[in-house]
Amino acid sequence: MTLPVPTTGARRRPAPGNRRWLLLRAGGVVFVLWAAATITFFTLRLIPGDPAEAILGGPGSQAGPEALEQVRREYGLDQPLVAQYLTYLRRLLTGDLGQSYSLHKPVATAIGEQFGATLTLALVSLALAWALACALAAWSVRGGRVAWAIGSGLELVAAAVPHFWLATVLILFFSSTLGILPPVSVPGPLGIVLPALTLAVPLAGFLGQVMRESLLTAMESPFVTTARARGESEVRIFWRHTLRHAAIPAVGLSGWAFGSLISGAVVVESVFARQGLGRSLLSAVQLRDVTLVTGIVLVVALAYTVMTLVTDLADRLIDPRTRAATA
Amino acid sequence: MPSRRFSRPRAVVVVTAAVALLLAACSPGGGTSAEPSGEPVAGGTLTYASGDAEPSCLDPHVGGNYPQALIATQYLESLVSLDEDGEVVPWLATEWDESDDGLEWEFTLRDDVTFTDGTPFDAEAVAANIAHVQDPATASSTGYLALAKIKDVVPVEDHLVRLEMSAPDSALLESLSQVWVAMESPAALERSQEENCAAPVGTGPFVVDQWERQESVTLVRNDDYTSPPADVDTEAVAEDTGLPYLDTIVWRFIPDSASRYAALQSGEVQVIDNAQPDTIRSAESDEAIEELDAPRPGAANRIELNSGKAPFDDERVREAFIRSVNVDDGVQSLFFGTAERSYSPLSSVEPLGLSLPGLFTVDPDAAADLLDDAGWAERDADGYRVKDGERLTLDFPVSTNQSIPAEQSLFEQIQADAKTAGFEIRLQPLDLSSWYGVLAENDYDLVSAPYTKVGPDVLRILYHSDSIEPAPSGYFANLAQVDDAELDELLTRASATSDAGERADLYAQAQQVVLEGYYILPLYDQQNHFLYSSTVRGLRAMPTVSTPTFAEAWLAS
Repeated sequence: MTLPVPTTGARRRPAPGNRRWLLLRAGGVVFVLWAAATITFFTLRLIPGDPAEAILGGPGSQAGPEALEQVRREYGLDQPLVAQYLTYLRRLLTGDLGQSYSLHKPVATAIGEQFGATLTLALVSLALAWALACALAAWSVRGGRVAWAIGSGLELVAAAVPHFWLATVLILFFSSTLGILPPVSVPGPLGIVLPALTLAVPLAGFLGQVMRESLLTAMESPFVTTARARGESEVRIFWRHTLRHAAIPAVGLSGWAFGSLISGAVVVESVFARQGLGRSLLSAVQLRDVTLVTGIVLVVALAYTVMTLVTDLADRLIDPRTRAATA
Repeated sequence: MPSRRFSRPRAVVVVTAAVALLLAACSPGGGTSAEPSGEPVAGGTLTYASGDAEPSCLDPHVGGNYPQALIATQYLESLVSLDEDGEVVPWLATEWDESDDGLEWEFTLRDDVTFTDGTPFDAEAVAANIAHVQDPATASSTGYLALAKIKDVVPVEDHLVRLEMSAPDSALLESLSQVWVAMESPAALERSQEENCAAPVGTGPFVVDQWERQESVTLVRNDDYTSPPADVDTEAVAEDTGLPYLDTIVWRFIPDSASRYAALQSGEVQVIDNAQPDTIRSAESDEAIEELDAPRPGAANRIELNSGKAPFDDERVREAFIRSVNVDDGVQSLFFGTAERSYSPLSSVEPLGLSLPGLFTVDPDAAADLLDDAGWAERDADGYRVKDGERLTLDFPVSTNQSIPAEQSLFEQIQADAKTAGFEIRLQPLDLSSWYGVLAENDYDLVSAPYTKVGPDVLRILYHSDSIEPAPSGYFANLAQVDDAELDELLTRASATSDAGERADLYAQAQQVVLEGYYILPLYDQQNHFLYSSTVRGLRAMPTVSTPTFAEAWLAS
């Protein structure tokens, strides 16, 4: 599940009034959710594989024909696909996410149990990514050409590192060699360090690259010259003026970043044996647990669209240019 | 690192040797002072890390796979068990008697056992459990098949129960020893499936306390535990504490093999399962880590040749394939000596297994002659054999959930060998559900599927023609699609006889038919390696389905 980087083009169109804008956006959210549910439902049901076999135990278990038929009847798998889809959609409209057959419990309960862990991981990683990106920018922007090149190179490498590789390297270094951090999640703050770092490093690389462009523009802007003329120190200028200015486009991407963190959680939660939605999603896909997969996809899509909506709304309130007709 | 391999007939000798090795390994430099033999220490928390997917239900009646068996062994017990020689021994049932026609079995039950919810264990409980497994609403697969021949259960007295059979079943005791049909509290079974899945109630040494999904299951000591199987030496148990010694087991799920091993090394966990060949090899040099090698019972891992359609409907082509691929070298190099080559349809822990290595010697010339004979004489531009313009192509769907990476690499080596002989093998890595789908569609020529079951009756499930496509479900266990009236007859008779000697003889003949027909290419036992910290003592694998039991385990300080 990778999410495309949203373009900012849509925001530049002539904007209608605030209320209408909100209404349109809310409609968009509903459409996105419907599309996510529909695509997930059909993708999972059209790839070969028999959910009934998976329900009956998976690897190493042997299902008899009677048991299979019973399961098919019970879960409506003997109905035509379109009928199954319509039933599912009707249930969704009433807010019922259905019953997970791989977990033997309601999907809403299952997601409720796991959502907190993933949210915590995503938020800690986001904060860590920002801290890393700012620290690197702060250092490289004041260190001259060489530091700039090193910083830019590091960001490029960081952004390109795959999660599973980084996770293994971090475990080898911090757990097996130094022995200072647990290789798998444990209760308490120590357990989240390596998983969060794994997610934060590539994201920091990405945020850093986005910031770097505007950092350059900002440094040559008149307000920086003015600040210098006022005699403010370079450190103060960086943190108070340049960085603030440069961070705006990166902040706008936080919605996207959040979505990408949740998709990264699939890998990270498995490697570090952490609780969470990512791990649930992985096992649900393997077991063809359509209701659970769709439920998780819906929750992630909702979180993603809401984050985007909030950042856009904040943008509109802060920056009048996005409200006025600019075409 | 001392290695313990549990092969029943040799187990006593091997264990003694392993203990000697262990003592040697633990003694400091000079080797003069042995490790203090060690009185079991009561208390402590042990963390177990499983590489399997987290079960969706902790009640192994529901579904019925190996991950469920692993954890349920700690809190559920069966009517009978096996000892290290494969002999059936009493457990919750103290004695049993089969009628002359084999249609009635009477089991005398222990009268001093209580489930951990306070419900007494009695004849009614046995009836409720068998009914639960046989109820289609339970959706039992493994347990359901194991009890298929039980027609009725009659509680005769409080602690005497009669099983009435639809047909004689020589495998009944072996089937009942499996944890998939273990005894649960009838009161607990009456709860909803959701509740019972979350915390099944048994008579075992531990009790399911809490299940934090995707994180861990916490098992706590059953303070009133009284019912170890008869092969446990109760004389050796410390009197003041009794079994079990551990206070708590934390059962975790760490799917990534490298993380799991790192967690063992760092001491976060004390026992890991699904140890991969490279990990076992590197653990050998670590004195703080020991290995438990407990091959699973039932079928050996093998490649099945689909004899139900061309080209493998021709025995010559099957033999040619088997003669052209070199399995030994691949097993040696990819499994680092952790797996032993098998030449039998059955696991090496099955006392009735028949091994015929002579059938599997690699002989490319003989293979070429056989293929020429069978009409696959031409070769196309890519070097593959052709017949009537059709290439000699074999589809090989591989379940990435069931075949470990080393096994998948072995299949690639086999693919390369077969290419030299003129076979084109199309390896198709699939997730489990897709893999089932391909099998149901009969879209395969080669396949490898594990099958765990106690006793040689697994042969009937795997090779009786009844097991070919029992439509309409599409499910079938006879993946080699062996359809041989003589074999069917042997297997049916073996399943019905109550004469041990005759049974052994019939199963030997049946295995000979399967092997000599070149329906399968045996590889090695179903691998089941555990690594554990040397502070863990008293760990053993159940001689039934080879799951480790912590009933007698303790933590040395």
